[in-house]
Amino acid sequence: MKIIENIKTNKLIDKQTEIQKICHQKLQSSPLPNLKSELWRLSNKSKISKFLDYSVDEKDPKFDVPYPKNSKSNIRLIIGEDCQIKLKEENYSIQQLNEDELDKYIKEQISCFDQNENWSDLLNLSLSCKKNILGLKINGSKIPPIEIFSHASNNSFNAKTLVIFLEKNCNIELLQVNFGKENSSLSQSTFIHLEENSSLNHGVVSYGENKSNLLNSLNVIQQKNSKYNLGSLHFKFNYARFEIQIKQSVGHAKTNIKSMQITKKDEQISTYTKIDFNGPNGFLDQINKSLADDKSHAIFEGSIIVPKIAQKTDASQLSRNLLLSKLAQIDTKPQLEIIADDVKCKHGATISQLNEEELFYMRTRGITLTEASKLQLSSYFQEIISFIPVSKDRWDLLDKILNEN
Amino acid sequence: MKESDPILEVDNLFASTDNLPILKGVSLTVYPGEIHAIMGRNGCGKSTLSKIIAGHPSYNITNGCIKFSGANINSLEPEERAQSGIFLGFQYPIEIPGVSNLEFLRVSTNSRRKFLNKEELDTFDFEELVKEKLELVKMDHAFLSRSVNQGFSGGEKKRNEILQMALLEPKIAILDETDSGLDIDALRIVASGIKKISNEQTGIILITHYQRLLDEIEPNYVHVMADGQIIKTGGSDLALELEKKGYEWTDDFVKEM
Repeated sequence: MKIIENIKTNKLIDKQTEIQKICHQKLQSSPLPNLKSELWRLSNKSKISKFLDYSVDEKDPKFDVPYPKNSKSNIRLIIGEDCQIKLKEENYSIQQLNEDELDKYIKEQISCFDQNENWSDLLNLSLSCKKNILGLKINGSKIPPIEIFSHASNNSFNAKTLVIFLEKNCNIELLQVNFGKENSSLSQSTFIHLEENSSLNHGVVSYGENKSNLLNSLNVIQQKNSKYNLGSLHFKFNYARFEIQIKQSVGHAKTNIKSMQITKKDEQISTYTKIDFNGPNGFLDQINKSLADDKSHAIFEGSIIVPKIAQKTDASQLSRNLLLSKLAQIDTKPQLEIIADDVKCKHGATISQLNEEELFYMRTRGITLTEASKLQLSSYFQEIISFIPVSKDRWDLLDKILNEN
Repeated sequence: MKESDPILEVDNLFASTDNLPILKGVSLTVYPGEIHAIMGRNGCGKSTLSKIIAGHPSYNITNGCIKFSGANINSLEPEERAQSGIFLGFQYPIEIPGVSNLEFLRVSTNSRRKFLNKEELDTFDFEELVKEKLELVKMDHAFLSRSVNQGFSGGEKKRNEILQMALLEPKIAILDETDSGLDIDALRIVASGIKKISNEQTGIILITHYQRLLDEIEPNYVHVMADGQIIKTGGSDLALELEKKGYEWTDDFVKEM
């Protein structure tokens, strides 16, 4: 594990920034997460080793986005490619956070990081160079959809960081796309802060190529009356881990999450979510879907934390899973930690296979088993894909999922 | 002597599921233009027979054979049977959330057209065709944009089945309790749709418990099933007789066998 060796021997990065130094120090005494802890025990150890076995690459070659641009009005940014953005329109403004603002915000975050729970972000911030950190401050309304791309180059490890501040009453659609190139590791950490009355429709689509790995961490802080919708999809990674931490700082906020992971061959993809209600009248509606085929392994662990202060919380978490092969494995654990006594919280999990009666019905109409399975899967995916904003890509995505191995 | 060859021949068919015998020697021959009704108690094997003819993978044929247009179809997949012209109208049509009814109908229709060496229809041409067929079952165009059978009432689901039959133009249609869950008006619409679709070249098997569907569509033959066998065959009068006598006598008949 090249990266761990470099952390131990202090040879990680030349000319470290202050943030890199702080994170590096936090990791130095214990550079790996506790692989026996609840958060990591199901992770495949050899895949984690491979994830960490590339050299850090700060000089990305130019990245050709494989998607055509959805519409001329969309704003498209690629992290690491000197994105300079300063838009001031009549109804809105999008500006890059300056170094001081970014440092201040990230330091605040790091100050309460736990080595095990926030290991992915600590690793990311100890490796992410200035060029690979994009910070945006957005305000206003009628903002064009924003697309932000991250990618890892072949045979290397890349760390990319995104920080987004949504100011009061701001309302946007954001699609984040993470690409994993062949034999690569991408560490993507995202920090989003939603101010009062702001609203974000957020899509996260991550897909890789042969032997690509991803560690994707998403941290969201929601202020009063904010609304955060997340639609996410992860597929085609040898190893991928999506960690979502959402905190409703004072309650009175709404969160909707529809996420999905698809695993094939011997891939392992996991989603860990922690939703923290830190005030009353919070709302959550969450569904996570997994689909595991061949010898692959899909994992979901979700926790909802409702302390005493979070009275009148209304939270629901559902894990739905499809097991397509006898050798595939699905682990799922939705869980609630409730201390408040006046709340409405529910959770559940199902694991099933393709519905044989549905398949037979379609086959009696002349549709082949392969086509019928595709139709059934597309109906399974549809709920999630239709929740991912920036619509044009949805159909490409469905096609991509159904037709690629 | 019949002038044409049979469309469907079920010859001494035995079938089981999970080693449990369900069909115990069923024989049935349907010629073009004929309407057959199969009646019997719940659990006598009527629906199983229809599913086995359509190729349901959960059932094993242990003896006998099914011939369609003269060829043994025992080993054909359900889709191959459907493409070649066997249609099964379901007692409980399946809901498929997220799959648009229009797209489902178009894919199905094209699979049949491909088999018939007809040109496959694109979305626009198919819309024209489906509009015409919707009239047969008095369905609103709005049903097409919904998911297959999802949120449909019992009657709407059955009409959707007949719409599929109209689009697929099968050589033989097996309609499993198409009359169940229909009010009088819906029953008439469905029956009228079936009559308009059927012709001298097609065969129809109606599986039903009641006379009321047979009042609308008069069968040439009525078969009574019990314990996985056809125990009596007669003309349309037999259905009237069953309406009066019920099915209790079939139990005694089976005991005596």
